Amino acid sequence: MSEGRIVTQEELTSDRTIECDVCVIGSGSGGSWTALELVRQGKSVVLLEEGGYHTRREFDQTEPRAFQNLYQELGNRATDDLALTILQGRSVGGGTTVNWCSSFRTPDRILKVWKERHGIETLSKEVLTPHWDFVEKRLRIAEWPQAMMNANNKVLWDGLGALGYERGLIRRNVNNCLNLGSCGMGCPVDAKQSMLVTVIPDAVEKGLSVYANTSARVLDWDGRKISAVRAEVVDGETRKPTGVKLTFKPKVTVVSGGAINSPGLLMRSQLLSEGRVGEKTWFHPVTLMLALFDHEVDGFRGAPQSVYSHHFIDRGPGKMGYFFEVPPVHPMLASTVITGDGAQTMELMSKLRHANVMIALHVDGLMPDEEGGTVRLRDGAHSRYSIKYELTETHWEAFRSSSKEMAKLQFAAGAKEVRSLHLSPVTMKSPAEIDKLDAAPWAPVQVRLATAHQMGGCRMGKDPSTSVVDPHLRYHTLDNLFVVDGSVFPTSLGVNPQETIFGIARWAAGHIGQSVS
Amino acid sequence: MYLPPPGAKPTRRGFLKKGLLGGALMAIGGSAFLATRKSVEVELPGDGLKELSPREYAVVVALAWRMLPKREGYPSVDAVEVGKNADRIVALLDPTAVKETKQLLLLLENALPNFLFGRRASTFTKMSTDEQEAVLAEWRTSSITLRRTGFTALRSLVAAAYFQSPLTWPAVGYPGPLPGIHDPNAPVWKGGGVERPIGNGTFREEALVAPVDGGTP
Repeated sequence: MSEGRIVTQEELTSDRTIECDVCVIGSGSGGSWTALELVRQGKSVVLLEEGGYHTRREFDQTEPRAFQNLYQELGNRATDDLALTILQGRSVGGGTTVNWCSSFRTPDRILKVWKERHGIETLSKEVLTPHWDFVEKRLRIAEWPQAMMNANNKVLWDGLGALGYERGLIRRNVNNCLNLGSCGMGCPVDAKQSMLVTVIPDAVEKGLSVYANTSARVLDWDGRKISAVRAEVVDGETRKPTGVKLTFKPKVTVVSGGAINSPGLLMRSQLLSEGRVGEKTWFHPVTLMLALFDHEVDGFRGAPQSVYSHHFIDRGPGKMGYFFEVPPVHPMLASTVITGDGAQTMELMSKLRHANVMIALHVDGLMPDEEGGTVRLRDGAHSRYSIKYELTETHWEAFRSSSKEMAKLQFAAGAKEVRSLHLSPVTMKSPAEIDKLDAAPWAPVQVRLATAHQMGGCRMGKDPSTSVVDPHLRYHTLDNLFVVDGSVFPTSLGVNPQETIFGIARWAAGHIGQSVS
Repeated sequence: MYLPPPGAKPTRRGFLKKGLLGGALMAIGGSAFLATRKSVEVELPGDGLKELSPREYAVVVALAWRMLPKREGYPSVDAVEVGKNADRIVALLDPTAVKETKQLLLLLENALPNFLFGRRASTFTKMSTDEQEAVLAEWRTSSITLRRTGFTALRSLVAAAYFQSPLTWPAVGYPGPLPGIHDPNAPVWKGGGVERPIGNGTFREEALVAPVDGGTP
């Protein structure tokens, strides 16, 4: 029998005040694991989620329903100039409800950078390994069999093999996966071991109270203490506040809204860290290349991501590294990403079944003096922020390089035509034409860029003058406020981030629980 | 409005790029002499509009016809109700995004910027097909970032409003979701004293209920 409950908008019809040991804000990778471990310790815990409680009953594998219910800003979140599109989850389970299941432990070299440059001695491979071991068992994280690889991933696999580049099979958090390809729209059979169907219900069984459709607006604080979390109920259909106010009075508050919403909440609460909150946000900026094959690729079917390559992850001093994966290719999302005029759009959409899309994710945050993204409040907005991302010559060199390498891989795998995603696409019919990319305009809003990985903005560090939270994820100037999500990363990772967040959250829950007096 | 952090000083270059030029262009969208030129009137959805004005709706429909030109096998822009779909999408956006979308639509429609940039003294909806395509090409290839941003935003809106429809699936060869997978009657568990149903997400193993051994601050 469960002791806890999941409460949704329909039941939240009047103002109320709730006292608890811990209020966790955000139900994604960080908030869910933190909440579970805290209820296991016997704490009374509430978990707030701005998005709705959407389950497989609604997951009909259609894009409009998914983007309306499961994504920030209906999938329209972006930098202010739209140079970079940001895919980010928004429902119970957060990004894990819609991500593509790729699971990697934090690379050693990243933990080394965090230790040497940012004074983070709390997080090491030795500290995190037991947590990753636990998480991997619970979420059934395992390598996806090569025999189950879809044709879209096989293009990457074959290209890497033909060019002799390093390649690997991705480990995924799935159980009884039917290889449908619907991960980004919510798994209709609960095969994906998202927080929605694993950790959150585990915690509810042990007493967790989940408040869905509940947006934390402001943290009240005085001196060194958070005294209350003020939240409002948001209509699941219209996304507008219903007028119902909820006030939570916790002993300890954990902010886990992700690398954009967590800084947003802190800034609304005038917790600015002299302007560092919202700064140095990392996105793994993504370049994309589209290739057409004689055979059907059907990138909308099968496990979306099962192959990766870190062949170019370290390109030496002064150069930004990158890694390769592929995304799923469904019609609505594809139509918004492809470029060209109307006739080119329709022609390309007619070849959707023959299209492979490859992505290169760039490892930002490791270069000296790199600014990355900046998140700021936007006047008159409710759930939208001003987001800027500084693209330098270093970025553009890497984007050109990765795009050319992807074209090489696609031709090596048998592509008949490769196109860049410039607003005026560069079309190549053979490897000899790849150098045409050198003459293309490499500038903001000349070529499509995207991200599905949001990191930084509340970076951890030993020095309070250069960071937002300490190496135990406690806000530097408040005793009972912790930030537990990807926003605390001082750099990006060079791998998909969910498992790093899982491990850090489970580790942090130990000392967060001890801090509840 | 972009709110800089306390103590931050906006650069002159940034102000000129984003503030003055961007602000002036956006302001033109909703005002000025040539803005008074009328738009083409189009039939509105039977159940009305939720967010767009009839004028903004007419611009979306005109845009859709150019950005999604007729092609054999594809349903028409009208058959898919692209304008209505776009209106429903805009209605769910953040208020600041709604405002910007409306500004962009009116900027595209307004005869003044069309005159300034292309010497065309007509509104977008009243232009010939060739003229409309020329305007969109100018936006797409413009050296002004704001125009390329505007093109990208409106193109994404129109494309999503069209290709979200299952009516387009046969033309692109997308078979849609596999039948028999989604269960619209699947149980929704909310705790509250009710036993959790066994499913793919449940996990029963004694080894996994061990307490965490987190560090000490």
